[in-house]
Amino acid sequence: MSDSILSRNSILKIDGVSKTFSTKAGVVKAVDDASFHAGWGEVTVIIGPSGSGKTTLLYLVGSLEKPEAGAIEVSSTDICQSDFDLASYRRSGVGFVFQFFNLIPTLTSLENVTLPMDLAGVPKPDQERRATDLLARMGIDDQRVQRSKPTKLSGGQCQRVAIARALANDPDLILADEPTGNLDTATSKSVTELLGALAHEDGKCVLIVTHDESILEIADQAFHMTDGKLESVGA
Amino acid sequence: MRTLSRGFRSFRRHWARNLIIVILLAVCLTFSLSMLAVKLAADQQVKSVKATVGNYAEVSVSSEALMAYFEQQRSMTQAERNAQARTMTDLEEMANRAESLVPEEVTDTFSKVDEVRTYDKLLSASVTVSGLTSTSVTPLFQIREGSTSSSSSGRFQFEGNTDAAALADFVDGRKQLFSGSLYTYADYKNANPVVVVEKNLAETNELEVGDTIEASISGASGSNSKLELKIIGIYETVEAERSSESSGGNSQAMTNPMGNILYSPLSVVQKMNATPGYVTTGSYYFDSVDHTEQLQAVFSSQVGEDSTYALTTDESNYQAIADPLIKVGKTSLIGLGGALGACALIVLLAMGITIGSRTKELGVLKALGASNRQVITQYAVEVVCITLVAIILAMGATTIIGQKLGNWMLSGNQTSSSTQETAQVAGVPAAGNSGSAPRGAPTGPGAMGQAFGQRLRNQVMNTSAQEQAASIQVVYRGSLFLYGILLLVMISLLGMAVPVIWIVRIRPARILSME
Repeated sequence: MSDSILSRNSILKIDGVSKTFSTKAGVVKAVDDASFHAGWGEVTVIIGPSGSGKTTLLYLVGSLEKPEAGAIEVSSTDICQSDFDLASYRRSGVGFVFQFFNLIPTLTSLENVTLPMDLAGVPKPDQERRATDLLARMGIDDQRVQRSKPTKLSGGQCQRVAIARALANDPDLILADEPTGNLDTATSKSVTELLGALAHEDGKCVLIVTHDESILEIADQAFHMTDGKLESVGA
Repeated sequence: MRTLSRGFRSFRRHWARNLIIVILLAVCLTFSLSMLAVKLAADQQVKSVKATVGNYAEVSVSSEALMAYFEQQRSMTQAERNAQARTMTDLEEMANRAESLVPEEVTDTFSKVDEVRTYDKLLSASVTVSGLTSTSVTPLFQIREGSTSSSSSGRFQFEGNTDAAALADFVDGRKQLFSGSLYTYADYKNANPVVVVEKNLAETNELEVGDTIEASISGASGSNSKLELKIIGIYETVEAERSSESSGGNSQAMTNPMGNILYSPLSVVQKMNATPGYVTTGSYYFDSVDHTEQLQAVFSSQVGEDSTYALTTDESNYQAIADPLIKVGKTSLIGLGGALGACALIVLLAMGITIGSRTKELGVLKALGASNRQVITQYAVEVVCITLVAIILAMGATTIIGQKLGNWMLSGNQTSSSTQETAQVAGVPAAGNSGSAPRGAPTGPGAMGQAFGQRLRNQVMNTSAQEQAASIQVVYRGSLFLYGILLLVMISLLGMAVPVIWIVRIRPARILSME
């Protein structure tokens, strides 16, 4: 990771963040003094084995967990402050892409994409138009597929819908947790390209945690995580 | 609004699961509302029965005192009794007569109790009327055929109260004024010597309104005194009393003993009987059967340890009539409680299962930035929709089965209490007069006939209340609808408790990690 990148346009700043969990086996340090910066239009990949703490780090950035130490700044705002509006940040500041898609099964693809906009209070006609555009951009322009429920879609289609949902409120930060973990090789490749395009074409800050080394192809910076410790593996 | 709409959409999307919950809930709610409708109907009918039965009381000489008096008289021979009568002073004779009567000060004092609504007093006396032929104990069929077999006993039953219009026979319509008028309270106050006679008696004796009859004043000193009574009215007996009870119910011997009864103001009857200040009965209507015990206590405190006078009420009639309805009310209350408990259990379990199976959805919603309020509102709308649909279905079903359930419950209770009721009605206390005016306990000659007549009248008077209690009328009132809304709110709140607790405590990171 070069200093020039950090100073150029950092949107995400993580400094000395730690998180522990109490388990039956004792206290586990999931994230241990992690620090890195990520900028606009960059893909940051954190690679590591299962249980290394990479998902916890992603949830810390997404404010789904609170760190015990350190600071996380997104667009120069400390998201760990007690008076920080977490719900608003989750709605509009960040978009999640999960390994198992986490689409709501009773909603159609279109409705899954409009849901974050609905929560954010976007007018109904705007919701539909934007959701249709996003799905089309993700390669789902067939109306039948758009009106289908997730159970009728393939894994690749589900992940595309999930990416569209993550982009629904046009967040600056996209957090992807094992986005290719549940996909075949060809689909993984296309999803990876999509995520790369979000950073390199749309200027989003994309943070991906994975154990799939092929994603490193699109990485602007990469880290290796072992037992909660973060090590840079270069750009 | 957006959240409400999302909640409603969510309710529709989970239609299969929600339909099962709605059906289960609707079944329990139907049972609850039916029980509630039956309870309301039973309570209403008990209230109606209370308005007509159970709130009548009489103060008279106790049966123990009367029995002691009769025993004393029976122990003497006729010769001894005649000798005693001849040697009695006026005061002694009056005291003797008064032994089976109640002093007016006793009945007046009791009338001042707060619960007493109306008060009257009555004196029955056997008086000799010269030159008058009696029609008593004449079979009705003979009267109808015009072959009246008259007897001339010379003694007639006089009944007096404070206002003839208040006499039960006239109020109930068993007797109707044929011509002239009835005496009034003013006649009583002024002791006007007036009389109302029976039509057959008047025809037999060719009497008309305006004519006079001559009655002898009782007592040693009054043996030669006469009182001229002016006939101001003639009544006809519409419904003759049946002697079925005294004859074991087989012989419906229709007689017209009431034809021999003459009505005069109480003060006039007291004069003819030579018992001023004494009455046979104090008659009261009080506010409600619920105060019977209280009134008994007040009366006991007024008369002290003196057991000569007794207060009797028609509470047992009320119990016999209202008991099945009261039992239905109690049973329906238990049923209502059970059904509501089942409703609560169903909604809690259903919401528990619903939330449990949609935990991931909750986690995703929170990860996507839904606030607790948004998620809670969404689930609340779902619960309200479920309960609302169930309530609407239950209200419809209640209109179909409510009446049937009520009938079934009442028939069950009537069967179980019929034996008890029969016993109670047959043993109605002598003072159990549920008419709207007083009738006294009998004294002297004709006493048994009088008691018999009164007991019959109790049955007649209770008939309407018994008919009222014989069936239950499950009417769908506005209050039932309000209770339905209350149930809707309560069940919805209960149902919301599960998601509220779950949503507030949920940590999306944990949920999303549970793959």
